Amino acid sequence: MPGGSDDEMIINSDKSASIDSYRKLVRTHLDLHMYSSALFWADKVVTLTNGEPEDVFWLAQCMYHMKQYHRAAHLLQSRGLEKAHLVCTYLAAKCLLEAKQYTDALNLLSASDSTSSSVTIELTFAQPEESSHFSIKGLPISNVHSATLFLKGCILEALDNRSLASECYKQALKYDVYCYDAFEALVQHQMLTSGEEQDLLSSLPLSSQCKTKEEELLVKSVYESLLKKYQSVPPRSAVQVVQRLRNNSDLSVAQAERHYYACAYSECFSITTAVLERDPYHTSCLPIHIACLVELKKVNDLFSLAHELVDLWPHLAVSWFAVGCYYYLKGKTDPARRYLGKSTSINRLFGPAWLAYGHSFAIENEHDQAMAAYFKASQLMKGCHLPHLYLGLESGLTNNNKLAEKFFLQASAIAPMDPFVIHEKGVVAYQNNDYKAALKYFEDALVKVKEINEPLIADKWEPLFNNLGHTCRKLGMYDKALEYHREALVLSPLNASTLASIGFVFALISNFEEAVEYFHKALALRRDDTFSTTMLTNAMEALVSDAPSFKGAELDAECPSLPLRRRSETPNQNQTLDNSGMSSILMERAASPAANFGDMDMTDSFQDENNT
Amino acid sequence: MEGGRLLLDFKSVKLSLYKAINDCSSRGLTQSTKWLSELNFAIKNVKVKCTQPYKIAVAEDELDDYYLAKSFFDAKEYDRCAFYASKNSSNVLKFLHYYSRYLSLERKKIDSLTELFSGPDPNSAGDLQQLCKELRDLHIRGGMDAFCLYIFGVVLKRLDLLDEAMTVLAEAITAEPLNWAAWLELSMLVTDRSKARSLSLPNHWMKHFYLGRTYLDQQLHDKSLEIHYALQTAGFNGSTYILAQIAIAHHNKREVDEAIDTFTRLRKIDPYRLDNIDVLSNLYYVKEKKTELTSLAHAACEIDKYRVETCCVIGNYYSLRSDHQKAVLYFQRALRLNPQYLAAWTLMGHEYMEMKNTNAAIQSYRQAIEVNRRDYRAWYGLGQTYEILKMPYYCLYYYKQAQLLRSNDSRMLVALGETYEKLEKFQEALKCFYKARSVGDVEGSAILKLAKLFVRLMDTDQAATAFSEYVNENDNLAGENKSELSQAHLYLANFHMNKNEIELAYQHAQSTLNFEETKEEGKALLKAISQKRTVMDDLKQDMQVEDSDPNDTS
Repeated sequence: MPGGSDDEMIINSDKSASIDSYRKLVRTHLDLHMYSSALFWADKVVTLTNGEPEDVFWLAQCMYHMKQYHRAAHLLQSRGLEKAHLVCTYLAAKCLLEAKQYTDALNLLSASDSTSSSVTIELTFAQPEESSHFSIKGLPISNVHSATLFLKGCILEALDNRSLASECYKQALKYDVYCYDAFEALVQHQMLTSGEEQDLLSSLPLSSQCKTKEEELLVKSVYESLLKKYQSVPPRSAVQVVQRLRNNSDLSVAQAERHYYACAYSECFSITTAVLERDPYHTSCLPIHIACLVELKKVNDLFSLAHELVDLWPHLAVSWFAVGCYYYLKGKTDPARRYLGKSTSINRLFGPAWLAYGHSFAIENEHDQAMAAYFKASQLMKGCHLPHLYLGLESGLTNNNKLAEKFFLQASAIAPMDPFVIHEKGVVAYQNNDYKAALKYFEDALVKVKEINEPLIADKWEPLFNNLGHTCRKLGMYDKALEYHREALVLSPLNASTLASIGFVFALISNFEEAVEYFHKALALRRDDTFSTTMLTNAMEALVSDAPSFKGAELDAECPSLPLRRRSETPNQNQTLDNSGMSSILMERAASPAANFGDMDMTDSFQDENNT
Repeated sequence: MEGGRLLLDFKSVKLSLYKAINDCSSRGLTQSTKWLSELNFAIKNVKVKCTQPYKIAVAEDELDDYYLAKSFFDAKEYDRCAFYASKNSSNVLKFLHYYSRYLSLERKKIDSLTELFSGPDPNSAGDLQQLCKELRDLHIRGGMDAFCLYIFGVVLKRLDLLDEAMTVLAEAITAEPLNWAAWLELSMLVTDRSKARSLSLPNHWMKHFYLGRTYLDQQLHDKSLEIHYALQTAGFNGSTYILAQIAIAHHNKREVDEAIDTFTRLRKIDPYRLDNIDVLSNLYYVKEKKTELTSLAHAACEIDKYRVETCCVIGNYYSLRSDHQKAVLYFQRALRLNPQYLAAWTLMGHEYMEMKNTNAAIQSYRQAIEVNRRDYRAWYGLGQTYEILKMPYYCLYYYKQAQLLRSNDSRMLVALGETYEKLEKFQEALKCFYKARSVGDVEGSAILKLAKLFVRLMDTDQAATAFSEYVNENDNLAGENKSELSQAHLYLANFHMNKNEIELAYQHAQSTLNFEETKEEGKALLKAISQKRTVMDDLKQDMQVEDSDPNDTS
């Protein structure tokens, strides 16, 4: 709420000039944030003018600034101004919201709806230059309407009526396309799915509200770049932003977020670091920066950042989120949960904290509690697919494939292009032994991933390649399987399970020498791997029976003959050797090595995937 | 190169060496600089006019950054160097940035090594992977010079992405053929000849050095010797490196005396050289030359106590004195200094074998193989340990690997045969023993093994022939294996008696009397023979037809 401007003329004619000067004084003190003085003189003006509505409004304004919300609300309500004037309605409701009297605030707004204009239902808002409204000069009526709608959205959201709230936000944005508050509420609180976001953007009356074409373009491009950053948006060819705004912090943060979703953590980190260097407390940058620190395992940096934030802003959710993330990264889940819980209790709409809270359970295989946290997140973040994705993962881990499938369907309804979701759908198909479908999903995901990460695929996608390998192996496409596993190895070298998988494929195509080598490598990295150990023994035995006895043996004659003197006499029976007592060390080999191979299980999941 | 003739234009060689020395030393590649300078010193007599002084290839405005970064690098403050060299566009600074980061990671890995056998640290692997990713990005964008390619190849190799590493190193070599470090890394990667052929390498005179080295690693010692001799005659005859390589080739060929001679010559020329000195200690060890080994150990210790080579020499010294605990201690010290030092891993494995610590032995050998897959001693050692552990399939596999690397070494073949015998795969075992014999039986045991196998297979004729060969070979030598010999004689005596070849039986029975073990049996046999003789004489007298049914005799 702007504090009014100095130069505005107060026109109530019959008052003496001294009152005008007092009013000016009030404004001046307000501008200088000297609220006590402003309050004192505003009170005097009200008494002098005998409760002129506008002066009462300014008095209430002062009280609001003094954080005396109840007093302000009472002041306005006791004089019945909240029903008469839209700005007063707005201020009263705002005070009630701050005083956490949500229902009263909502009633107030709804009452004013019925009298002046219905806010929620009537979409075509006739410009009501009604006589009952005094106008605060310099306050365009559409802005007041938009602000009122936004306020209503806030109240509804606080009352957990999120669908109505988002409706209000949308309308607020339509009244005033510059109402970033509403835009932020919609986007940052993940209220809309990507399709809805697009619809909203295209439905905004930009052309009518913007003065020039250029301005229209600017607003559009800025908003566009702030929209959903995951799925299919290649970070490098991001939305064209007006050239001069390129270095704007908000837009850089949006860019960083894109990098984050494309798993390019170091790029993301360098951007967020640069932004935080310019503006150390850039609020929307901090969650991404923290998430990046977690991904890059920069424990020390996170530690000092969390300390700094908690010292400065103990009342902000993001500070405690940082602390919780620090403990999460250190593997101390108990304190992590405590601080993440604190973060969510400060700001219940802070999605990242809810997700991290879920992760802290997930890494300890506490599936039920993790799912509860994710559920909460999914309710709060309607337009975000991540909670659904994690819910699906957890149900998959508890062997509830049906449920998992459902969650993935929900996730893909929100974000149909996200490779993570497609990948997980593939995993479900694989577990249902539908390998063809799995292969299709995985290949789909791969195409998407390749679109997003050019030219290098992020390390995070190593499981995708391995899963492609597993699926190809199941389908008998061994060459392809090898190829995919090798690519996985490039993304994540020295990975025991990849090496074991390669060994397995080699064993299946009876290339036991290579198989043995790869199982050896796998065991060197992970010594207690039972699968590799069993497979190694099997392959070794197969190798003995298959391969020639030594290098160059195949060149020799079938049966060696002694180059010695030969005797042509019947063999002698009485040997000094006793053959009967010999124990047979020769082990029976199973009919086919593939028959007793256990199935590789696919436990690949993106558990440590963090954050919105 | 064909026919052992090598013609080089030494003037241009010298000029390129000057340039390469400058390039390498400005980048902190100390070992390459050392090698190149040594080579350059070997052709000291070639005089060239150095037209212009070599400048460091850094842009004017980045010279200050370079000096600062390089000074940190020289002071071994790698992280600091990496930081100061991070934002520059000059190739030299770029290289310094990546190289110092790599070295920093390596050093941290060594420093944080609590236990020698602890596996790879997952954290450092992550950092290395990050480094690799950045390098790969740079590579795709094509912003790499020869030296950056080299460091990329090294990182790839450390991450076990060997095929990619090879192509990148080959690229690096093509771009700058005088970077010896790149050749060296490549030669360690080329495990077989098909791989060697698939690489496209420039036809540069440096290639001869590389080939000599690679052949040596591939156990193709004659070829390697040929190349090194050719290089010597071509004009590099003063090179200590070539001399050392020749010595090593002789060592690998088990020509111990020649190898020792060559090393002695080398030590006369360059008394303070420690490189490869551990090979000499191996030679002394094999020859059991205690005094020489002791003096070598003292000399090495005086030059530099904390060199891997020195530690290996001292380890060998203690091993020869059967102080295996201490030997292990020194090998461990060597490995603390450089966990990539192959020889120490293998030697430590041997020591653990002596101490009957099979578990530790296996670990050591495995590490050795990890460092270099072509170390046949380690493969063989692994086979031995698994033999002790009674895991014949594993044992067979490792012996096979060893035999693959040294196809003409009878020891591997004998070991293989023995394992096959244990697995009752007699045909394979027979093949192995035959082959061992045909490639020249070093230990002379193949024929005996063969004979015993025939006994076991109840093929008495073959057994007898084998035994008699064995006896023929060993009778004149006053060998140590008396019991084997006596048993052979005993067997032959019995055999011939059963065949009623009394004379032969008598001879062998007589021989058995020479041995303590079989004396009694021999006497009994002789008695039986004389009995038989009388019986036979009786029979002859009775003019009866000779009855040759041997089953009646017990």
